[in-house]
Amino acid sequence: MYTTYDVFDDVVQLRDLVGRFFTEAPAVRRNVEYPYVNLRENNDEVMITALLPGVKADTLNIQLVDNSLVLEGEKKSDVQDKPYIRKERVFGRFQKAVRLPYRVDGEKIEAGLKDGILTIKLAKAEEARPKKIEIR
Amino acid sequence: MANDVKKMRKDDYNCEECVIVPPADIYETVDEYVIRADMPGTRRENLDITLEKNQLDIYGRLEDELTSEENLKYGEYRLYNYHRTFVVGDGIDREKINATLENGVLTLTLPKSEKLKPRKIEIKVEA
Repeated sequence: MYTTYDVFDDVVQLRDLVGRFFTEAPAVRRNVEYPYVNLRENNDEVMITALLPGVKADTLNIQLVDNSLVLEGEKKSDVQDKPYIRKERVFGRFQKAVRLPYRVDGEKIEAGLKDGILTIKLAKAEEARPKKIEIR
Repeated sequence: MANDVKKMRKDDYNCEECVIVPPADIYETVDEYVIRADMPGTRRENLDITLEKNQLDIYGRLEDELTSEENLKYGEYRLYNYHRTFVVGDGIDREKINATLENGVLTLTLPKSEKLKPRKIEIKVEA
């Protein structure tokens, strides 16, 4: 079989390379709003995890608004105004809306905060679950 | 060439040796130095803190379920093990270093050694 050299093949590869550079950026990216979230999905549920070290559960307020999940809370300073030698952590109020890719069942939401990671499990609404279609 | 790049990138970002340097605050009170570091996901049993000579080494391993990217649809963070080293001076009491881990925040208290604490100097009254 004949294959001819096509200069556009190289161009497309280059585009992939550049695209990967931006999409596979390592670890924590700084251009997204606090807190950083990951969203996982399987057949029946959507799971959102957020990094919230040092945030106490009673300062957190989680709401389902339309098809967005709104995370609101405050990371209270645990060092106050003591003399610093090094200061790298940030504190303050935050609010972030995470858009959900599916309709969810508002009655079945579980949230847990453990070791500074917030995990929210949302059951997909019945119409959003995959259905097997029988062939007659 | 593209394959080489791909391989290199895989080594860079999916390697097992990759670590996160946790952000830390250090402050000082009259009696002690305190280090606070944000290490979400770390459990007490997976955290190693060692002091060798003047190097204070913090290493936190994460469970596989936290680092796996199975079923991931949208991601803003990626977790690796945590590792950070601090150099400490001679002015701390090495025996009394205390560590607590709460809500993913590590707190290390390093008490100052007795001879470094501020002292009030008595003025002797000449007889």
